[in-house]
Amino acid sequence: MNERIARLQQRVREGRHRVYRQEAPVSVLAECERERLSWPRRVARLTRRQCEAERVVIEADERIVYTRTLPAEMPRLYREEDWEQLTAGHTLHELGPISNICADWGQVLAQGLGGRRAVAVATRQRLADNLEAVAFLESALETMDAVLALAARYAHRAHELGREEMAAILERVPAQPARTFHEALQALRLLQAVVWLGGNYHVVLGRFDQYMWPYLEADLAAGRLDRAEAEALLAEFFIALNKDSDLYPGVQQGDNGQTITLGGVTPAGEDGVNELTRMVLRVSCELALIDPKINLRIGADTGLDLLCLASELTRKGLGFPQYSNDDVVIPALVAHGYRLEDARDYAVAACWEFLIPGRGMEVVNIGAVSFPAAADRAIREGVAAGEQFPAILARTRQQIAEQVTGLAGTYARLLLPPAPYYSALMSDCLERGQDVSRGARYMNLGIHGAGSANAADALAAVAHFVFDEGRVAPGELLAALEANYEGYADLRALLAEEGPKAGNNDKRADRLLVTLFDFFADACEAYGRTPWGGRLRPGTGSAMYYVWLTRGQEGMREPLVGATAEGRRAGEMVSANLAPAPGAQIRGPISMLQSFARIDYGRVYNGGPITMELSDSVFRTEEAVRKVALLVRTFARLGGQQLQLNSLNLDTLLAARAHPERHRNLIVRVWGWSGYFCELAPEYQEHIIGRHVYG
Amino acid sequence: MTRGIVFDIKEFAVHDGPGIRTTVFLKGCPLRCPWCHNPEGQSSLPQTMRGSAGRRVAGKTYTAEELARLLNGQAAILGSCEGGITFSGGEPLFQADFVVAVARRLEGVHRLLQTSGYGAEETFAWVLAQMEMVFFDLKIIDKEAHRRYTGAGNELILQNLDTLSRSEVPYVVRVPLVPGVTDSDENLAAMAEVVGRLRPPLRIDLLPYNPLTGGKYASAGMAFRPGYDESRPPNLNTAPFERTGVEVRVA
Repeated sequence: MNERIARLQQRVREGRHRVYRQEAPVSVLAECERERLSWPRRVARLTRRQCEAERVVIEADERIVYTRTLPAEMPRLYREEDWEQLTAGHTLHELGPISNICADWGQVLAQGLGGRRAVAVATRQRLADNLEAVAFLESALETMDAVLALAARYAHRAHELGREEMAAILERVPAQPARTFHEALQALRLLQAVVWLGGNYHVVLGRFDQYMWPYLEADLAAGRLDRAEAEALLAEFFIALNKDSDLYPGVQQGDNGQTITLGGVTPAGEDGVNELTRMVLRVSCELALIDPKINLRIGADTGLDLLCLASELTRKGLGFPQYSNDDVVIPALVAHGYRLEDARDYAVAACWEFLIPGRGMEVVNIGAVSFPAAADRAIREGVAAGEQFPAILARTRQQIAEQVTGLAGTYARLLLPPAPYYSALMSDCLERGQDVSRGARYMNLGIHGAGSANAADALAAVAHFVFDEGRVAPGELLAALEANYEGYADLRALLAEEGPKAGNNDKRADRLLVTLFDFFADACEAYGRTPWGGRLRPGTGSAMYYVWLTRGQEGMREPLVGATAEGRRAGEMVSANLAPAPGAQIRGPISMLQSFARIDYGRVYNGGPITMELSDSVFRTEEAVRKVALLVRTFARLGGQQLQLNSLNLDTLLAARAHPERHRNLIVRVWGWSGYFCELAPEYQEHIIGRHVYG
Repeated sequence: MTRGIVFDIKEFAVHDGPGIRTTVFLKGCPLRCPWCHNPEGQSSLPQTMRGSAGRRVAGKTYTAEELARLLNGQAAILGSCEGGITFSGGEPLFQADFVVAVARRLEGVHRLLQTSGYGAEETFAWVLAQMEMVFFDLKIIDKEAHRRYTGAGNELILQNLDTLSRSEVPYVVRVPLVPGVTDSDENLAAMAEVVGRLRPPLRIDLLPYNPLTGGKYASAGMAFRPGYDESRPPNLNTAPFERTGVEVRVA
């Protein structure tokens, strides 16, 4: 990394760019009221005023410019009472504005905003009689003009500063089609930043190595750019993505959806891996920043060299790349109505869900099915009624179906606010004269499936101890659950320590895990079409629900669960995504992959990774990094859908020390041997923590 | 039906041989090296480990059929990942019948023995015949010192090393560098001399002593009494080994 890039990174890490920030948000309510603007026009006005209020910031050593100066707060578009009237009887998703979709970045870079503008003008002429279309198109034009005006101010300032290269680029893009890698990166920076300015969030970057590669390829071929310069520009773009993340809304800071998806096949089905794929992995590894978060699409035949490069990134301990298996994902999407060329073009959303860039208006996370709550109710009611295990399973199926129906019912009244600027960046909203909030080719709703391993373990414990072996009396189990295991320490230990565990390649528990997801898929399929014309996509992720479902959260629609039959006490967290229950003893990564590969991903296709933590001491040698790559290939060959590998860092070790019960399987490399972190005496734990700090 | 006792099965053991391996830790060892980092591997009986995460019983009995079935469930995966099964301990030679019975039942998967080398000559040869690679520990050449520190002489060990050398099985010699015990220039030179007379191993691994060695004793309800100065950095004199012409690695 050259000195300039190091300096830029240092400046952003230290937050020195924040001195340009303004305190007061813009205000648009008064003019919206005065002009009695429609909702789309209000949203457009917001975007315009935000662009106008931006201060121009060009640092002496920057080659990709734009620094947000406006505060996080989004100005009101309606008076409180009007807003309530507008949204009464509807469900807003999260904060309201459209989030977590992926624009057609390739198209807007290729056409320029001027090209998109021309499309809007032509459609307005064609649909002159359609008032709604005209209102939408005029709103979109207002936003595009605002972005162009902002770019012009940047160009002007660059001239004043004598920065002729920057001035020339900003006069060219984003108005006109990008011609070079540098122009494309600058255009993308500005175009994406304005989506945030308009109040939309989780602004996904999609298949970056696919839509950016033609520009880089042409530069390299023409000798306009060498690889080192290209890497520096790429690094600068990535650093820029980290500038404003403290202004972005999310459950935690960093939860901002600035993901990119690399690799995989092209829409025509050819290998999409290119030199930019590798360059992104290398640059990300050097920078070690949280944005952009990287997803890598792979398949059973992906080369080990690429997987080794990706494993080097895992070694950094950032928690990415996350892997998605094309061999599994694409057929599942096609089986559920996605066109083959679109399915092949999927990108990964903020977390793990699959999005079709430019063509998907999917709400991929409407909520979660609580498997622990479903299984627990079934167990308590079924056992109390003196039923056998198959009847308890049938009750579980019913509980899952009820939760699915409840969530889907809430979202039948989903209200998506207009998003004229975001619409301009989609594949065909301007062409159709329709805001993306009113529809796109894909309109499905996704539901997480949370706490699956705990629920499978609870059912397995009942099947094994109550019914197969008769070691636990039904009444005793019920009393222990009611008492939250107070006074039932031995029973709790038996259930927790000797019961079959999902994720340990133990068919007794894995079979139930698979069954839970089958029930979930059945319920989603039985629900049929949503009022949007889409379907319900069942998934395997948990998001933050591994906490919420066990401890509660204000406004949560999902049921809270108490003590459960796998020996879990009330309030103890459940597994995140696809992982063994916290505290369950398992043999390791191979068993985990074998277990979770059994799920029918042809029907459970909303995403949600197998989540595995490896000690970073595993990564000490190049030889071992290659073994991590082999493990990733094994995941793909076994037919897993997604994999999240983490290399543990200091924070995790500290958490393991404070809460050992949640990190029982944490393995640390100690010398020529490995041990369980939690079995080391405190002073030895301290030593390892010290080594990681200073090592 | 041959039965054995195992104190752990660890998958993705990236430092226990080539490729991705699953390591079976056999419980029970005839030696009592004070620098042993797996104290629960010493006794042949099940033992409760009490760690900060709760209890765990170290020591599960398997029939050879059961263990082989479990391992064969991963054989294809381990094979495609250039790896296999590693038998470690404890001391695998201490349960030779069981190890041989399991190894014979493994289906086309690479087998590696990690051993102190302490076992009867015919036992070692019998187990060796089932293995495709051996990691052989070499600690102390002086017989008396060996007996003093490990509780047993090294005659069998050196004899078995010779047997290994006369076989065609590829092997690695592993030397723990315990400060003031195994790392004297004199002992290192003597070990290098022994290795120099053998069919060359693939590698010599020098394993510097790590102060975390005693970490698990309290969990296992055992006392850790090293009897040497743990804080002294081990002597990393690789020169005598370099002279053998074999690749030397400091792990």
